[in-house]
Amino acid sequence: MGKSSYLVFAAIASLGLAACGGGGSGGGGNATAKPDKVQIAAEGPFTGDQASIGAGALKAIQLAVKDFNNKGGVHGTPVSLLIWDDQHTAQTAQTLQAQGISDPTVLGIVGPMNSGVVLGSVQGLQAASPPLPFVTESASNVKVTDSGNSVAHRVNARDDAQGPADGKFLIDQGAKKVEVMDAKSDYSTALADATQKYLSDHNIPFQRDAAKAGQTDFSTIIQKIKSFGADWVYFADEGPEAAPFVTQMKQAGLTIGQNINFLGTDGEEDPTIISKSQGAYDGAYATNITADPAGVASAAAYVTAYKNEYGADSVSQAGPFYGSAYEAAQVLLQAINNAPVKNGKISRNDVISHLASDTFNTIFGSVKFNAKGDVQGGGIYVYHAEGSNMVVKKQVSG
Amino acid sequence: MEYFLQNFPQQLVNGLETGSLYALIALGYTLIYGILEMLNFAHGDVFMVGGFLAAGVTAVLVHGGVSFVPGVFLVLLMMAFAMGGTGLLGVGIERVAYRPLRNANRLAPLITAIGVSLFLESLVQVFVSPAPVGLPTNAFIPQAALRFGNVETPLTGVLLFVVSVALMVGLDLFVFRTRFGSAMRATAQDREAATFMGIDVDRVIMVTFFAASALAGMGGVLYGLRFATVNFFMGYLLGIKAFTAAVIGGIGNLRGAMLGGLLLGVLESLAGGFISTEFQDAFAFLALIVVLLIRPQGLFGQPLGDRA
Repeated sequence: MGKSSYLVFAAIASLGLAACGGGGSGGGGNATAKPDKVQIAAEGPFTGDQASIGAGALKAIQLAVKDFNNKGGVHGTPVSLLIWDDQHTAQTAQTLQAQGISDPTVLGIVGPMNSGVVLGSVQGLQAASPPLPFVTESASNVKVTDSGNSVAHRVNARDDAQGPADGKFLIDQGAKKVEVMDAKSDYSTALADATQKYLSDHNIPFQRDAAKAGQTDFSTIIQKIKSFGADWVYFADEGPEAAPFVTQMKQAGLTIGQNINFLGTDGEEDPTIISKSQGAYDGAYATNITADPAGVASAAAYVTAYKNEYGADSVSQAGPFYGSAYEAAQVLLQAINNAPVKNGKISRNDVISHLASDTFNTIFGSVKFNAKGDVQGGGIYVYHAEGSNMVVKKQVSG
Repeated sequence: MEYFLQNFPQQLVNGLETGSLYALIALGYTLIYGILEMLNFAHGDVFMVGGFLAAGVTAVLVHGGVSFVPGVFLVLLMMAFAMGGTGLLGVGIERVAYRPLRNANRLAPLITAIGVSLFLESLVQVFVSPAPVGLPTNAFIPQAALRFGNVETPLTGVLLFVVSVALMVGLDLFVFRTRFGSAMRATAQDREAATFMGIDVDRVIMVTFFAASALAGMGGVLYGLRFATVNFFMGYLLGIKAFTAAVIGGIGNLRGAMLGGLLLGVLESLAGGFISTEFQDAFAFLALIVVLLIRPQGLFGQPLGDRA
């Protein structure tokens, strides 16, 4: 991390110099002149306990910016990328966002990745003058776009799509008694509630429990699962708790695929859970609110480029959002590119109106936001742990 | 009622296992508080470093799910390495961050303790791993569960409980039955008077830090073996829980810390098992509030004086 952040810093510094040079020689502005300086930020939990989902997304965004700049940037001005590592706390996010709010050349954010962070910091982004727009690649809580903020956009599907889809998947698989668990976060509690409601509406008995971030001792919950006689465990979580949980399930005699089944959510289709749980996760399912680029024909070139950039085995460690992160960055960069340049400047207000009106070309096809900022036709994807890989099984209704 | 009777024994065993880990860490808080009257808030992170040292041993000696040395030997090596490493770390922390402030305002060492805690977390996060690190326990520990009636627990759970209790008994004997233990208790009672009696107080404090930190290091090993995963922030909540256990037991009192730890673990497990897992932590801290309201000095605490 240390090494790569130096590289990023060096890259940003050199881009900054280039932008200054360009501005100096360009002289007076006209309507088609290039902007003096264009910055966007990548925000998410890039280090820390959720680095397994954040780090891959950051690499994707860095690659998207690089690809965009290689094609000429914004009318010839390369975009520089700020890296805001919010550690999935809203407080840290607000501190980081303050530098973007006060700098009018920061035109948008790819992220924040966590619903809790968005909900804790969106007011500040909306109240900024001009407001600072964001396109998140993973925040799925319905309130992210239901709160009427013009800055809010997302390319992933919503909890109210995922909850019923997860519930339907469980019932389709023949679930009789379901242990529903959340991990006490804005994201996971809301999602578990939505899935629980679907099960309850379809008369499937369930028992509700909660883990917490960083929990490793699941003995209490596992005893409750055994006593309840659940045939499915549904764990709405972003990932880090899954490996110790399923390891202990197996130790306690609950073997996935034999006498119990497991459905996880975003972050739990991370294949490293299989190795971290020493194989106990084999046979588990997980749903995700974004597409896996490896399973989408139009994204094949992107997967190759990602491997070329970061190494042959980088995709297996890229986490669930390396596709949607690239997609979100493409959307934001195209909106900026479509916005008018006035006196060497692009206004964030114009970026927001272009995000609202334009249709964008991405690795997953064309993207257009509705009035709330949700993408139309976002789907839910099911993954299955087979051997040491997570294999995409099918897309369920979104 | 039937549900309760069926599940109670298992939840009790779960609670005793968790509680013995709390107790092991709580001992460190209480030992150091007893001698120095300071809260070593970095203690939870010393525990975390112990877990990572143990994981490091497995990373060197286990490859592709095969251990190069016999399982028992590997576990002993993990314990020796982690206890030695964290013991020295504790002594180092005391020397660098606390000793220069021994006569300063009481808040000063508390702040440096928080600083050391954040420093250790960041150090491991940046230079070792920001993500949880798995321990390949399948390679060297039998995974079969042990059964007693309808209660079952993995071998590592039994190990956690037995080793913790053995260390607690050992520490109790050391403090109350040895000459050096007397020196420790004398230092706890009155540091100045102990100096006049010819006790090398600096040495007592160093040994105390070594012992407290080595116990935390052992806690890290047992945790790593039981849960097969370690991460850089695992010392945070566990440290707070252990501190709570120490306060419930009466901070400064060794037997209080042991009992406080076991009590807290059992209480949490029963609250989670029979009331709600969502409020498990709330019950733990509710217990703290209730104990402090009824017995501000903790269950076994004496107002001052006969601490150790």
